[in-house]
Amino acid sequence: MKPEEEVRKTRYQTYALVWVTLIILTGITLSAAGRELGGWTVLIALVIAGTKSGLVLNYFMHLRSERLTVFKVIIPLVLAVFLVFILLTFSDLAFRGGVK
Amino acid sequence: MDETTAFALEGQRDATGARLGMWLFILSEILLFGGLFILYSAYRYKNPVDFHHASRELDVILGTLNTIILLTSSLSMAASIAAIQRSQRKLSMVLLIATMALGLFFLLNKGFEWGAKMEHGIYPNAPTLLARAKGEILFFGLYYVMTGLHGLHVLVGVCVLLVMLILLSKGKVRSTHFTPLENSGLYWHLVDIIWIFLYPLFYLIS
Repeated sequence: MKPEEEVRKTRYQTYALVWVTLIILTGITLSAAGRELGGWTVLIALVIAGTKSGLVLNYFMHLRSERLTVFKVIIPLVLAVFLVFILLTFSDLAFRGGVK
Repeated sequence: MDETTAFALEGQRDATGARLGMWLFILSEILLFGGLFILYSAYRYKNPVDFHHASRELDVILGTLNTIILLTSSLSMAASIAAIQRSQRKLSMVLLIATMALGLFFLLNKGFEWGAKMEHGIYPNAPTLLARAKGEILFFGLYYVMTGLHGLHVLVGVCVLLVMLILLSKGKVRSTHFTPLENSGLYWHLVDIIWIFLYPLFYLIS
């Protein structure tokens, strides 16, 4: 654990670069949505949204420079719980048969 | 005092503990919105065509503009924290005011967007909306609940940042003690992340 005054400082340029990347990714999402890609559209949109979130989490939210292991563990843990919810919901939906 | 139990020297504060607490709150927020995202996915899976038609009626330009606004506000938020770490108090305050202004601009756009929808008779329980296909009613219901809950988070975020601005001006948040600002920033970025997912799922269904 580190005293807060010793926290590693991120350079302004790094933040600016992350912002530029986020804007470019938004542009890619927008242009991909305009094309006929069928079922891929949702997947592409979610992958890009995930990438953008990763950038925000690691750089803006400083997850990258957190020293304690617990910070690295709790997020995958929550995402795993979330995935279980999704799987249970969709396994229910998929096997309902005629009931809507 | 060994390394693992070291506290911030000033006033025996535990900056890491405070951040961890904030992260736990943020993760509970992710699951709150996560539940709504699962609801959205289930209904979209059952009504793909209706969702497609309803999504066409949303204003993509306004949605994209709001995405850029929130991403930019995240940049100014992160820069505001970087500034106070470097003892640049005035710069930090200016960047914080910019973040709040962008947040309010986002809400203003959202207000125009909702207003336009309501003028066209699209709001919860509206007779014109209830006459539509089931999937479209569900889409607009989710649209109002999810963007509404998100908008509420933006509003709360702006209020929290206002408190931070006052603390900054009084010198209670400073280069040796900026954890409150850091934690407020974490909340602000969370709101940004939620929007990153809302944007393609509501505005860009092709």
